[in-house]
Amino acid sequence: MPPATGSSPDHQRPEDPAAAIALMGSAPARFRRGLRLGFPIFLGYLPVGIAFGILAGQIGFSVTQTVICSATALAGAGQFIALQFLGDGSGVLGVLIATTVVNLRYVLFASTISTYLRNLRTPTQAALAFSLTDETFAINIADHRQGLATPASMAGVGAVSWLGWVLGTFIGAVGAGRIGNPSLFGVDFAMPAMFTALFIALAQDWRHVVIGVISGALVLGLASLPALGIHLSTSWFLLIASMVGAGIGAAVWREG
Amino acid sequence: MKASLSSTLIWAVIVGMAALNFAMRFQPIAVVSRVNLPAPIARWLSFVPISVMGALVASEVLLPNQEWSNPLVGPHLYAAIVTALVFRFTRSFLGASLAGMASFVLFQHALRAIGQ
Repeated sequence: MPPATGSSPDHQRPEDPAAAIALMGSAPARFRRGLRLGFPIFLGYLPVGIAFGILAGQIGFSVTQTVICSATALAGAGQFIALQFLGDGSGVLGVLIATTVVNLRYVLFASTISTYLRNLRTPTQAALAFSLTDETFAINIADHRQGLATPASMAGVGAVSWLGWVLGTFIGAVGAGRIGNPSLFGVDFAMPAMFTALFIALAQDWRHVVIGVISGALVLGLASLPALGIHLSTSWFLLIASMVGAGIGAAVWREG
Repeated sequence: MKASLSSTLIWAVIVGMAALNFAMRFQPIAVVSRVNLPAPIARWLSFVPISVMGALVASEVLLPNQEWSNPLVGPHLYAAIVTALVFRFTRSFLGASLAGMASFVLFQHALRAIGQ
């Protein structure tokens, strides 16, 4: 994908010099800045991709199928749930419904980030949409709110994240059975650490902290309802808690 | 789980997932970026990112393995506090992630050593 030129009209000119440099650089420079910004995502995706590669092979995916699945779907939890449903003997329709429900939050993310993507050409919007995940969304939103993100930097974040996911999947698919236990290096905590840092980055003021805590409490409350199903539970919790939490924020603070 | 799935079924799932995931990501952008959102909707969307992160942190840190467990006897909460502090003072995602992962391993060993 060619890095888009021109900066988004939504940017306010930032005050500090580092920010000014981030915006003034050429498109390739901004793309490289995006690669660096997204590198922690790369590190986080690698081990999870390896896990996906191993599991997919166990239920009958070839290496080619496994890698193409990750390269085209780029859908972490959605891919794992698909494996689980396939392994349980579900048909195509059941699998697709499950993965859609799990990743329904992408609709929410895309609506949110679209306010920053006005006036971009459709192919650029499509490319940025393709690389939209929990992590790229959060990094790019945090970057936008500092006035630093550009289409090129977002493309860099997306590219390095995609690479981590696909490379990890490939390593897992090819090396299944030959890889030591990656848990020894703390990779189990790579994603939680990323989310924790992003929470701090996105908490602009005390209202955000309150809403974030409320959403977290909602997840815990929902998780304690034993009546809810098993397969879809966590993803539903996340979606419901996010929508309700944000709704509370919008209802309480009408000026912002 | 056995390797008994047909190749056709797997390809159908791969193509379907690619199409659906792209549609969910692109459709809202194609539509919403061309209209002016009503103020209440825009305000609601402005709170979405922090809500999502609050929900994700709660589920990853307080519901490891998808169920509640006392956070004081596991490494997740402690490692999350280290991560938050490192990010707060360095503003580095990479530094905070690595510090979180390293402290997670250390807390795992320490908790095991004291018999939790």
